Amino acid sequence: MIIKKQLKSGAAVLALAGLIAGAAQAEEVIRLGLSVPLSGAAAVWGKGAEFLCNTAAREIREGGGVSVGGETYNFECLSYDNKYNAAEGTKVAQALLNREGVKFIGGSLGTAPVQALQALAERQDVLVFTVAWGASIKGVKHPMTFTQMNTPGEILPLLIAYIAKEHPEAKSVAMLNPNDATGKETETLAGDIWAKNGVDVAASDFYERGTTEFQPIAARLASLKPAIIDLGATPPADAGAIFKELDVLGWKGVKVVEVGTGADGLKATGGDAAEGVYMGAGVTFEGNAATDHQKAINEQAKAQIGESLNAVQIGFYDSVYALKAAMEKAGSVDPKIVAEVLPQVTFKSFYGEEVGFYGKELYGRDQQMRLPIIVTKVIGGTLAEVARLKP
Amino acid sequence: MQTFIQLSATALQIGAVYVLFSLGLTLIFGVMRIVNFVHGHIFSVAALVVAYLLPALAAGGLSAPAAYVLASFVGIAVALSLGALLYIFGFRHFQRDLVGSFILSIGLVLLLDGVLLHVFGGAVRGVPEIFPGRVSIGGAQVTIQRLFLCAVAVLMAVSLYLALGHSRLGKALRAVSYDHEAAMMVGIPYSRIAFLGFMIASLLAAIAGVLLAPVTIVSPVIGTDYLIKGFIAVIIGGLGSVPGAILGSIFVASIETFGSYYLDSSYATLAIFGLVIIVLLFWPKGVFGRG
Repeated sequence: MIIKKQLKSGAAVLALAGLIAGAAQAEEVIRLGLSVPLSGAAAVWGKGAEFLCNTAAREIREGGGVSVGGETYNFECLSYDNKYNAAEGTKVAQALLNREGVKFIGGSLGTAPVQALQALAERQDVLVFTVAWGASIKGVKHPMTFTQMNTPGEILPLLIAYIAKEHPEAKSVAMLNPNDATGKETETLAGDIWAKNGVDVAASDFYERGTTEFQPIAARLASLKPAIIDLGATPPADAGAIFKELDVLGWKGVKVVEVGTGADGLKATGGDAAEGVYMGAGVTFEGNAATDHQKAINEQAKAQIGESLNAVQIGFYDSVYALKAAMEKAGSVDPKIVAEVLPQVTFKSFYGEEVGFYGKELYGRDQQMRLPIIVTKVIGGTLAEVARLKP
Repeated sequence: MQTFIQLSATALQIGAVYVLFSLGLTLIFGVMRIVNFVHGHIFSVAALVVAYLLPALAAGGLSAPAAYVLASFVGIAVALSLGALLYIFGFRHFQRDLVGSFILSIGLVLLLDGVLLHVFGGAVRGVPEIFPGRVSIGGAQVTIQRLFLCAVAVLMAVSLYLALGHSRLGKALRAVSYDHEAAMMVGIPYSRIAFLGFMIASLLAAIAGVLLAPVTIVSPVIGTDYLIKGFIAVIIGGLGSVPGAILGSIFVASIETFGSYYLDSSYATLAIFGLVIIVLLFWPKGVFGRG
């Protein structure tokens, strides 16, 4: 009698386990690896990126998932901290690709760690999305790599032409960039474009990331008496501190942070000196230009990471929708097939527009998301969109 | 001439901050013979607490200076509590152990990096100027906020110098730094003196943190740059030497300022490291060093 009862209980447990296993099999999960800084100075970018990847994955799950060949897939974001350097980027690449077996990189941040990731990913036919700005990671040699935000190659020609037109009286510029791969590439490109627009480059300097005392740098920039000061790829918080010191020294002119991503850091350190700064990678969620969806997500982000979202982070939302569109069009979740189809698809971006891929003329293949170039300016203490330029 | 005055004023302003930082480092090394890489985090905690509390206090109706003073007291108290915890549960067990304290402080740096990021978030915080306005000194433009910072730094440096030379505690600190065993033999309670030395150093870092909060970028990683410059200053001046720390700080700030102006900020940073190598070639213990 006891044996019979135990057999019954055992059968019930097995049946339940079978049901659970069946349910688990019904939901196919595609894991999206993220190689982002989650500690150190750039941690807020990584945390925002992780937040937006999860947001897009959740929205897609709630919307019925990704339909591929009669199967329904959902995304899951798996982020590792690359600490914004090549050594950690290599470890993250090995962890994501070799240990976790990830086949899609939903986003990666920082030229140096991305180069480490790209080298391993290409050997394993893993599709890589990146916000890294380095032109060296783009092109026909990297058929599995796609760029998920505007880079200096897209931003600078349109932004500088716009500023030159808005300020025809300004005929000299002093440039400052961080002394790294991003800063060097931005500086080379910007110098040429300023010259093409009839603006004389009075000086072009570099500084080390992590610098906290900007008085000497400001003293040198002010001594050149330029009409424009272009801080290039300088992070907003550093840029704010520099403009504040320039203000103390009495410099007045056109202020530009070409690839500045947001006003929060700029205002936090620059205060009133942030007024009038032009940025080429900033996003504003104030006013009528922002949709309710954007505003709602931004409020959630502010509560979670303490800062408004920026263009770097938004790329991690868009890549998830781009992958969904490509997988559904390809009818496959094979990364190589998805990579071949990706340049042909369009998807609804976080910016609210239907976007696709371009870049064949500049990089040799369509690997760059065609996102709008949003020119923003700090007006009355808040970031305002002053132009939306089509690339 | 005006450029020279402006650059000299800038060098003195930056040097004042490095003085506060390097005095703490040199005091800890002198008394305990340890290298403390967590010093930057004590500084960061004080600055972060001010950056978080000040807006809330100001929104509660307090005037900006009153809110700043209150936030600063809380910031210093939190930083000192952290310093006490670090000493009691960490450095107390590694006194006069350079290798052990080095490994411990590197581990604590990694731990505190994560904790500060989790507690305060990675976003940059802004602290409004408490003493707005600027003055012209010989044609050089200096903000009143920076002048206040310099005045406090000079006051702290002079107080420490006088205290070390004339007070009972100062004499005990000096005795321990010269020969801790001989000091104990004449009745100086080494453990208590070491703790007090560590706490005075933490107080200097905390004061630097609250003074700098309104003029710099407040984030969990703010201490790293100052820590590096502070270490360079004490290596040049000589580990364990108060005049050496002051001299080293002014020297580093001058190279940074004049180098950035006449060359480039990156070259100025390189020049600082180059000069450290040269100084160590001729004075392996630093200019005034005994360690």
